[in-house]
Amino acid sequence: MIEMALVVGLLAITLRTASPLLLASLGETIAERGGILNLGIEGAMLIGAFSGFLGAYFTGSLVVGFITAIIGGILTVLLFGILVIKVNLDQVVSGLAINLLATGLSLYFFRIAFSQGNFPYLGQLIDPMPIPGLSGIPIIGDILFNQTIFVYIGLLSVPLIYWILFKTSFGLRLRSIGEDPFVASYLGINVERTRFISLIVEGIFVGMAGGLLTISMFNTFDTRIVAARGFVAVSIVILGRWNPWGALTGSLLFGFTQALSLWIGTFLVGPAAPSISQLLSLLPYVVTLLALVVGGRKVRGPASLGSPFAKE
Amino acid sequence: MPLPFIFSTGIEEGLSKQASFSGGSEIDHLSDYALYVRGISKTFSNGVVANNDVTFGIIKGEVHALLGENGAGKTTLMKILSGCLKPDRGEIYVNGVKTRISDPRKAVQLGIGMVHQHFTLIPTFTVAENIALVSSSSRKLELKAVEDKVRHVSKSLNFEINPNTRIEELPVGARQKVEILRLLCQDVSILILDEPTSVLTPLEVEDFFRIIRQLKNDGKSVIIITHKVKEALSISDRITIMRGGKTILTIPSSQTNASELASYVVEGFIPNLKRVPTARGEPTLSVKGLFIKGDRGEMAVKGLDLSVHSGEIVGLAGVTGNGQKELVEALTGLRKVEGGSISLKTCDLANKPPNFVINSGISYIPEDRMRRGVILGMTISENLALKRIDKEPYSKKMLIDKEALDKSAKELISIFGIKASDPCATAGSLSGGNIQKLIVARELTNAPNIVIAEQPTAGLDVKASEAVHQKLLDLKSKGAAILLISADLDEIMKLSDRVLIVFGGKIVGEFSSDSLDMEKLSKLMLGSE
Amino acid sequence: MQLKISKSTYRSILKSLISVALALVVTSVLFILTGANPVLAYYYMFVGAFGNFSLTVETLVRMTPILLVSLGLAVSFKCKVWNIGAEGQLYMGAMVGTIAAVSLGNTPVTLLISIALCILAGMAWAGIPALMKTHLGINEVITTFLMNYVAIYFVQWLIAFPFRSPDTLFPESAQLPAAAILPIMVPSTRLHLGVLIAIFLAIPLVYLLMMRSTFGYKLKAVGENPEAARYGGINIKRTMLMALVISGALAGLAGFFEVSGIQFRMRGSLSPGYGYTGIVVALLGQSNPIGVAISSIFIAAIYNGAFEVSRVLNQPQGIVDFIQGVLIIFVLSSESIMRFLEKKGVIKL
Repeated sequence: MIEMALVVGLLAITLRTASPLLLASLGETIAERGGILNLGIEGAMLIGAFSGFLGAYFTGSLVVGFITAIIGGILTVLLFGILVIKVNLDQVVSGLAINLLATGLSLYFFRIAFSQGNFPYLGQLIDPMPIPGLSGIPIIGDILFNQTIFVYIGLLSVPLIYWILFKTSFGLRLRSIGEDPFVASYLGINVERTRFISLIVEGIFVGMAGGLLTISMFNTFDTRIVAARGFVAVSIVILGRWNPWGALTGSLLFGFTQALSLWIGTFLVGPAAPSISQLLSLLPYVVTLLALVVGGRKVRGPASLGSPFAKE
Repeated sequence: MPLPFIFSTGIEEGLSKQASFSGGSEIDHLSDYALYVRGISKTFSNGVVANNDVTFGIIKGEVHALLGENGAGKTTLMKILSGCLKPDRGEIYVNGVKTRISDPRKAVQLGIGMVHQHFTLIPTFTVAENIALVSSSSRKLELKAVEDKVRHVSKSLNFEINPNTRIEELPVGARQKVEILRLLCQDVSILILDEPTSVLTPLEVEDFFRIIRQLKNDGKSVIIITHKVKEALSISDRITIMRGGKTILTIPSSQTNASELASYVVEGFIPNLKRVPTARGEPTLSVKGLFIKGDRGEMAVKGLDLSVHSGEIVGLAGVTGNGQKELVEALTGLRKVEGGSISLKTCDLANKPPNFVINSGISYIPEDRMRRGVILGMTISENLALKRIDKEPYSKKMLIDKEALDKSAKELISIFGIKASDPCATAGSLSGGNIQKLIVARELTNAPNIVIAEQPTAGLDVKASEAVHQKLLDLKSKGAAILLISADLDEIMKLSDRVLIVFGGKIVGEFSSDSLDMEKLSKLMLGSE
Repeated sequence: MQLKISKSTYRSILKSLISVALALVVTSVLFILTGANPVLAYYYMFVGAFGNFSLTVETLVRMTPILLVSLGLAVSFKCKVWNIGAEGQLYMGAMVGTIAAVSLGNTPVTLLISIALCILAGMAWAGIPALMKTHLGINEVITTFLMNYVAIYFVQWLIAFPFRSPDTLFPESAQLPAAAILPIMVPSTRLHLGVLIAIFLAIPLVYLLMMRSTFGYKLKAVGENPEAARYGGINIKRTMLMALVISGALAGLAGFFEVSGIQFRMRGSLSPGYGYTGIVVALLGQSNPIGVAISSIFIAAIYNGAFEVSRVLNQPQGIVDFIQGVLIIFVLSSESIMRFLEKKGVIKL
């Protein structure tokens, strides 16, 4: 029975650690289906985490934090959108720019808000919300139905986004832009507007993904808090073949490796234990790189992904 | 009515005919026109005047050919009518009502639709998805309804198409039908087709003309853009000729003939290729049992054999997509060969890198000149040295000699008549025709053993085309082996000593230039023989 | 060498100046909002960077790692290979150099071997994502960034456990042997040999490589149009691989110079993000070695000047990152801003 409880715990943690990756990769899937490669997702998550933290800290309300995180995410992705859609700049470099800007902004305003040597933290975090009735189911209840709101939103969004992308006219239009924006534009599809809509949706998801780091996972903010999760999410989108179900699979896989490395760490004893458990922190990054080597080679994504589109 | 190739006579004759046609009280006539434009002018940002005070009209239910050479302004005019371009000046009347066509969507709403030379289909989508993209108005994607409509409309035109096939799996001819189908699904009444037969074999053209007649019977108006006089005569009710951005004349097809039309199309230009009789030499390039994979992993070239001798031009004819692209890329080292051999005299070239191929004296004029042939952001002299940058005099011990680069560029600019201000200007500052001259200059100097010319004159005007053809003939007379790949059968027939027909990745027939049988050639191109 | 400023060079310079000016204006707004006089702030920034001889030397010392990293990145960016893993390459170079130096001890060749190995380590660390890009087609932006985390965590582990200094309490390496320390060139300053190597060796070499050699030509061709470059017989895989590896080499060297010229021990906090600063500098310098050199002095001055600003005007730390973030946005947009100004007739060329 103890073994069973441990496995259940491991899987429940898997979902928790997977949730920021799931939300971020779902958002990125939508953007990339429209042909926009947003490598500024790392920075957008950072701003989401920062604005969520500020909102929650100064109002004392986690709901406000949740909302400000989303706003932060949307604004950052929109700025990226203006650079690549309106000014028509290179998507990769603009993404890098957004990441650097996000680090600069959050670091500076964090120091404005809290003086040097002050380490603010939130008094409470968004806790798991057991779903009445379902959370009581043995094993499955503990794994699936005793989670935070972020996990529920992520899981429910998978079929929803799949439906939007593949079963609605909007999805068809968005995907046609991702394949060939020139043709789409010729056919009367408003490329700019459709892409901006897709980016706003991405912003919502990425904002949540960042916000959950500060208001649900850790209770404090640091400019290193995102720790490449945005880039892992971009990798998951590739590995998941630009499909929401693929994003779910990928996120769970990475959530699992992360959960596993934490889990193993708790079992280690002896003089080498701290050394090994520190070394395990490398695992998620190495696994992502290896997964890209195995599953990321020569994949066919949306044909226009990352390429510029300028009307005459 | 034989006419001399004299400018003034042609113009006066033309103007008088046009005047007699559109004269009288204009208002009465306007309502007869499905579409009428007046005083259309368009100048591009690079200063090219594409349309200059153009007047043009199409009557309800007619097939109208817009005839003219490349660069005459035909496509520009039609792009204005289909809402892709905005005119600088001019008025447009649809069914007698003055209107503005702001974008392609608006044009379709007015009943005007265009099939471009470059198809506007999404290759990874199915036929139905491509059509749903423009016709589905509901939030939810109603693919079933679209599929039914596709079946219904295609039936009425007597051709079979499975609405669930992906576009990339369809041959070019079928894609064209999908384009027409999509316009019909949007209830378009005026169809504009830009060089529709350029992707078809002569036999397919028959079937295509049948569809055009069917459309006419259904009360649609059809505008066909073409540069082929015979084609214009055989399909259209009326013909409008464009030259140098102006409409020269509009005339009923029944009242004219090929030589008269030709005299209007090309202003006082008499083709004058100088041919030096050349003895066919030893085989320079020989390809045996070649197998090459296409982009999607399918075998695109399946056991192809061919040889090109020194001092001959071999034309490779075939419908686009029968392995020509893969063959050329394999010959130039840009694509892997799965099996078979490519040899230049005794040297093996299969699966050698591009650099090796270049050093063995193979020149290549690529079809996609902007993407492959030139680096727009680099200077003209840098572009001219592209393939020889590692060699003297361009560089010594890995350091570039800029003076040598500029000196050689100045020579080539004057020899090939490239209109360039300065060899240090970027290639991007050149016009399309001059970019092709730059590529030709680079590829045809340094005495190549073999020249692979892929659509070398596509998009060039008559004079520029003629210049390129002359250069190829000159090289041939100096003993080079030339492989000419062109979708333009006229070009192939004009230059080649031998014509090979490629179908399904194999050579299926060969003709010598003096014993061409067009019907047989056509059947071979379609693989029906 | 004749110095001829062509129209396009002039335009490039103007673009960079406009970006800098706009970034400083935006930052001024921030100063005003936080109650500081922007003119005063920039004055103190200048004073902090160049106020006297020793401050100027300190700015040069600060410039060195930034210059080395960004020269490398300029090579890589020229062929549109976006190496954002210079931070990781810098750490790996520093670590391997440190391990070599500490293991060798005081021998006449310690410094040379350590320098050679730190360059090799940076090259190897950049080589992995380079091979992933050229042979598997995996986007280098993702891989180089993820490898930063692998490198930094790995280095932190190395100095926390296997290579931990026996004589201090912190997770840091043992002190470098005297033979591995870069000699000081100006007494009673920190102006070490590495500064001179960066200025008098690295700049001319990279200039020659990029502006005069056939490799530089190939870099540009691959960056502008890889399809045409391949058609022209240029081995684009090799060019991209070389570009990334060269940038890794310079980042690795930058890392070890920081250890052997400044810190004398490998520490987890070796770089305050020079790898990322290098991106801003390379873009600001428009991948031109001279432009990059001038830009690195500028950014180094902001780094050092910001200390003075925060000390005197009680401004928060982080102003450096803020300026860099704003600057990069303007650098990217500068072409559009230029075109807008030309259209309005504000600028005539």
